[in-house]
Amino acid sequence: MTINRIVETDAPEDFIEEIEKVQSALPKRIDANPKNVEKGLAKLVLTLIELIRKLLEKQAMRRIDGGSLSDEEIERIGSTLMKLENKMQELKVIFGLKDEELNINLGPLGDLM
Amino acid sequence: MHSVIAESKDITLLEILDRVLDKGVVISGDIVISLAEVDLIYVGLKVLISSVETMERLRGAPFAGAMEEPT
Amino acid sequence: MNIYTYAIIDSKERLCDYIIGIEGAIVCNIAYRDIGVVVSKLGEQIQNITKDHVLKHEEVVEKLMGNFTVLPVRFLTQFSREEDVLLMMQEFYNDFRENLDRVRNKIEFGIKIIWAGETIRNRIIDAYKRDNANIAIADSSPAKNFVKEKFEKYKIDKEFAKEAEKCIALIVDFFSRFIAEKKLKKLKTDNLLLSASYLVEKERQEDFKEAFERARRTLSDLKFLLSGPWPPYNFIVLTKKTDMFNGKSINQNLASEDVV
Repeated sequence: MTINRIVETDAPEDFIEEIEKVQSALPKRIDANPKNVEKGLAKLVLTLIELIRKLLEKQAMRRIDGGSLSDEEIERIGSTLMKLENKMQELKVIFGLKDEELNINLGPLGDLM
Repeated sequence: MHSVIAESKDITLLEILDRVLDKGVVISGDIVISLAEVDLIYVGLKVLISSVETMERLRGAPFAGAMEEPT
Repeated sequence: MNIYTYAIIDSKERLCDYIIGIEGAIVCNIAYRDIGVVVSKLGEQIQNITKDHVLKHEEVVEKLMGNFTVLPVRFLTQFSREEDVLLMMQEFYNDFRENLDRVRNKIEFGIKIIWAGETIRNRIIDAYKRDNANIAIADSSPAKNFVKEKFEKYKIDKEFAKEAEKCIALIVDFFSRFIAEKKLKKLKTDNLLLSASYLVEKERQEDFKEAFERARRTLSDLKFLLSGPWPPYNFIVLTKKTDMFNGKSINQNLASEDVV
């Protein structure tokens, strides 16, 4: 018995365009070369910090959405988030890392972020 | 590290690649001799973990303090 | 020598059909207890990976699907010794057994859907700006402006995700009666609303394809892609840790004294 596998669509170019967007956004892998372990380590640490930063930001937005924060609290949260974002930018520049590189591929689980 | 070139307009190839490159039975580690790209992440992390432990041993102290400003 | 691995099958017998695989090497089945691992023995490392290797790999797996229950192995999984292959089989036997039993007589279909994501996002942005045009922030500060921008993006993303969920719910409704399992990836890009994998009983595949046609006719402003049947790439579940070093799993390695 033969399997007749099909790929059927009336808009192949549209799907190719979207799939290519995802493929080209593939993060660079952590380098296995021991000489680059330091940069790999920085990438790993900064990725985790970036994850936490994004989670904090999202949590803050949820609280603002829920209306449970005072004006002063919003000011303080905004100030902290701003400083965090700026600090991350600095660190990225210092270590020569781009946004797309701050991600970890967890194999079958997909990307961390 | 290997890369497969998917020519534009080859939706069938893209659908195949979407599956064979990192799905199915995925075994990694140094018992697997030819590593697909994703495998490098696991091996890479192991290298990193060993390196952190080695550095800790050499310094004689845990690594946690290294993120603070030097005095 | 490389042992190139294609799939795990539900048989310990020699293959009846003569199949040529990667780099012209013959394909054979290595038995382990009541299952087998289908391999080719290659003389040396493959020099240049090309799409022909990918296509040949997939072709071999699909030929096996005609006669056996198949667990496809990831492309480019190779071992240097037969003992390593058997060690792997020993380590994962229970997982493989469980998966083979679960996917027997089932095949995978893939469905991808494109919607007018950019248009919808722009509509949401316009609506948000309209509704919030006259909200002045007292004593505006850099911090408050920062928050305002982030919050706007948050609200728009939230609304966008909500619209996506509604649309996705309509789509999956067409298929739920005909499937055994599903895996959904939502909004991989703004326009790629859904990337779904479905595990379908072989006898129900015509029902499934008809459901696809109905969905496509009904939800006519969406773009549809159907692919399959595939081996069950997206429905393999391995409970043991899949890193094997020195012929042992990562847990066995960590347990031993001589970890570097």
